[in-house]
Amino acid sequence: MMAHVLRRALRSLWENLSLNLVATAVISAATLLAGVYLAVMVNLTGVVDSWDRDVHISAYFFSDVPVDRRFAVKDELGARPEVAEVHYVSEQEAAAWLVDKVQDVEPVLAELGPEVLPSSLEITMADEANGPAQIAAFIDTIDYAEFEVIDYGQEWVQRFNTFLALLQVMGVVLGSLIFTAAVFLVGNTMHLVVYARKQELETMKLVGATWTFISLPFLLEGALQGLVGSGVALLGVYGLHRLLVFQLQDALQLAIGGEALSFLSWPACTGLLSAGVFLGVVGCLVSVHRFWRAAP
Amino acid sequence: MIRLYHVHKRYGDHEALVDVSVQVSKGEFAYVTGPSGAGKSTLLKLLYGAERPTSGKLLVGGVDASKLNQRQLPFLRRNIGVVFQDFKLIENRTVEDNVGLALEVLGTERGDIQRRVRAVLNVVGLKGKEGRLPLELSGGEQQRVAVARAIVNDPAVLLADEPTGNLDGAMAIEVMEILMAVNLRGTTVLVATHDAGLMERFPHRGLRFEGGRLVRS
Repeated sequence: MMAHVLRRALRSLWENLSLNLVATAVISAATLLAGVYLAVMVNLTGVVDSWDRDVHISAYFFSDVPVDRRFAVKDELGARPEVAEVHYVSEQEAAAWLVDKVQDVEPVLAELGPEVLPSSLEITMADEANGPAQIAAFIDTIDYAEFEVIDYGQEWVQRFNTFLALLQVMGVVLGSLIFTAAVFLVGNTMHLVVYARKQELETMKLVGATWTFISLPFLLEGALQGLVGSGVALLGVYGLHRLLVFQLQDALQLAIGGEALSFLSWPACTGLLSAGVFLGVVGCLVSVHRFWRAAP
Repeated sequence: MIRLYHVHKRYGDHEALVDVSVQVSKGEFAYVTGPSGAGKSTLLKLLYGAERPTSGKLLVGGVDASKLNQRQLPFLRRNIGVVFQDFKLIENRTVEDNVGLALEVLGTERGDIQRRVRAVLNVVGLKGKEGRLPLELSGGEQQRVAVARAIVNDPAVLLADEPTGNLDGAMAIEVMEILMAVNLRGTTVLVATHDAGLMERFPHRGLRFEGGRLVRS
């Protein structure tokens, strides 16, 4: 039985090569879009995670706070259980950091004076106290008169997280639309394949072929189309990834920080291949079912 | 073998069969006759499950064909051979593949298919033409291929819908002789035709239809 199914599926693939290529291309396009979306989401999520890990509070001193008082505050904060580390950044260290990060800023700083940037405390929270609500509560408790400004990046990270969540919802909605369109297109393309073999299939049904006997080779055909289509799409996503790494890695790291661009994980790759196979099988199933109901 | 009880078949406002009750015994040869549109083909379609009766009961080999769903239908058809006026052969498959199809759907082994196909082609006088495509054969030969396909799995019933309609006199006689031979092996044969000459040459029971009604049996 399986040999027969395989023989018929391969024969049909060969005899309707152009139609099968169209169906494969449709699956490939749909899974390529899904793959690119997944890769973008994986990298954006990675960036946000690294930002989350790096979140620290910057508390800037008024310029007239004596240095020994600044260190006293540092020690007080460092003793708090929710704080992992407190680092004092002097005016000179702040200026040196700026010179290191921004080109040609040194003459401007020299003109404004060595103490134009305020000194600050860089507070890193302990892992168990690193949540947005805990950080907000902590900030409420450190309203020292010595601090001019207390700043932390969490709010911005939260906004970005909201944007990511929105992107995920859009991905699900668009993904569903693309999937439905792909099933429709693959189904119609397979309908043409079924139509091209209508005479043979009708005759088979007339001599007593069961639904399984008729549909299995088509389902195998659809699975092969899906596997090839999604395989090509995966290669496409990998090619795009390599191109981006090669062309834009440095620029992206400077702009958004974080780690190197990562490719899809093995489970994601397997999921994408499975989605392609599923698409091919569902498209074929829809088409063969339509034929089965209509044939005498 | 075949029993119909008050069978009606309606297409919209058109009554294709009206209150048909008839019985055809096992091993019998019968003609279904009548003018065009009388209901001959509709009767055969009901028997091999291509259509369902609007009302009434229809038994083929003890199975109520009117109640079969799409899943059960193939198993009825495996017991019924059907021959069509237009042969319904697959043009891009060889004679052997066309005839073997009826065995392939049963899951028969390839070697067994080849052996049985060659034997049945011998019976219908097509020995040596296994590798030909249908369009390389004459109309009579194509119809003999169709008959071979219909009988290769030894069905209990053979239905033939105008099997000689596209054939000239000599070829028609050849095909009828094969159908007679099949009947002699014990198969119940029902032939829909309006060819009075053939019915005279091969006299058998006739079920005459007019306007969807069985007027003589």
